[in-house]
Amino acid sequence: MKEQHEHASLAETSLVLSTLEHDQLVAAKKEPVPRRKLRGGALVLAWALRVYVVFMMLVVVWQAWIAVR
Amino acid sequence: MSAEAQPGKKLLVMAADDEVVVTHEDIDRAHDRAKVQSARSGHSLRSRAWLLWLLIGPGILVMLGENDGPSMLSYAATGAKFGIGFFVPFVVLTFGMALVVQEMTVRLGAATHRGHAELIFERFGPFWGWFSMIDLGIGNFLTLITEFIAIRAGLGFFGIPPWASILLALAVLYSALLSHRYWTWERVTLAAAAFNLIFIPVAVMAHPHWGAFGHALLNWKPLPPFGKDTVLIILSDIGATVTPWMLFFQQSATVDKGLTTKDIRYGRFDTLLGAALAAAAAVGAIVATAPLFGRISAENFQAAQFAEALKPIIGRFGASLFALGMVEAGIVASITISTSSAYAFGEVTQRPHSLNLPVNQGKSFYAVLGLCAAAAAGIVLIPGLPLVFVVLIVNVVAVLAMPPALLFLFLLVNDKEIMGEVPSPRWANGLATLVVVLLTAAGVLYGVSVVAPNLFAWMGRL
Repeated sequence: MKEQHEHASLAETSLVLSTLEHDQLVAAKKEPVPRRKLRGGALVLAWALRVYVVFMMLVVVWQAWIAVR
Repeated sequence: MSAEAQPGKKLLVMAADDEVVVTHEDIDRAHDRAKVQSARSGHSLRSRAWLLWLLIGPGILVMLGENDGPSMLSYAATGAKFGIGFFVPFVVLTFGMALVVQEMTVRLGAATHRGHAELIFERFGPFWGWFSMIDLGIGNFLTLITEFIAIRAGLGFFGIPPWASILLALAVLYSALLSHRYWTWERVTLAAAAFNLIFIPVAVMAHPHWGAFGHALLNWKPLPPFGKDTVLIILSDIGATVTPWMLFFQQSATVDKGLTTKDIRYGRFDTLLGAALAAAAAVGAIVATAPLFGRISAENFQAAQFAEALKPIIGRFGASLFALGMVEAGIVASITISTSSAYAFGEVTQRPHSLNLPVNQGKSFYAVLGLCAAAAAGIVLIPGLPLVFVVLIVNVVAVLAMPPALLFLFLLVNDKEIMGEVPSPRWANGLATLVVVLLTAAGVLYGVSVVAPNLFAWMGRL
């Protein structure tokens, strides 16, 4: 509590605690969100879309290369 | 001594049984939230209007920010190539698509108080997180380059040399950061973004046929011919409104602004208002260049060339406004896109990331923001680089990278463990699914037109 008086006013401290939700505090965000494993349809879809993006990017680069040449 | 006066130090506070650390960033955000609480306690119309004024920002910024250099060039090319017709309502529809997915980011940010990159990394792990970050990083950097191309071309219309244009743009970008307050940054950028509406008076100066405009808006006609160019413009116009950086930016800005679940309704209105304003400006650009339809070939046209071509139709003043609009589009987008990169970097590396941070606490945040912009600006000044390559692909790349980004948004916003009482409603999920299907279909059609032109031609004859 000693540090509180050195670096911030009591008014600011109470302002923070009365206006921000607990998980809005910077310190609270250091706590990681629990991990969730992708499974089933979501996993298949994620891979399918990833393959789609990589393939289509190659198509774009190829087309742009031809256009520039 | 207050924490604001000593920003580098943290304060230990005892709250009930928990020990809580309060930072400078918390205190700045608390000041903003105190105003919101005070406005919310009033019931008069004036209090409601004041509350709305306090809560709007990220939605308008993201939508007007996405009306960037390549987007406005895409709309200008659409008008010059196809005139007033199918693309007028089509562009309005694309903003509807953007509204659906952007509303989800408001909900996600307000419920979790975490950025988009942070949530993907923590919830699904670094494997999927890095894929998203690579898409975002490449897309953002390419887009940033095109913003500076637009600024250089727009100011080139007034005879300003490229180096001076780029320096001016960087000066504006860095000035917006000087306050180290999210609120001030947001208001300065909003004021700059308002100039995007300059395309509306330019459209009026082009004396459009209002009957044809109304007919196009209601009937989606005349339809464009089925062909490669049409598919490319469709993809480009979609990429002009729906892109991955928008998801990351609006969620991070929602968190930085401090919005909570009580504010979702206002966040939705903010996004709707942004979409309406941006759609008006986009349609304005199409209408402004529609008189060029049939007169010129607008292939690979740059901002200054459109302004020059419009001079005989809307005069020197109108053409100057058009060029200034391009400059504004580039400047605002360079601010929002570089901020989006800095937020994502901070979220992934777990370093401080907020526009409320003083420089000494947010060195990496401001360094990423400043260096991304400076690097993109520097590339534009290198003589002889085939930059038209970047302008050609940037909107297409954005559309192609969207479906996986939307999948993670969809999974997160329906995740009851993190969303609590406010998961996405069914109607929004239905619309978002439709958006993913449309984007993927447009991408596949584009792929067929490039890889299998004979099959594409056969499809056209059907």
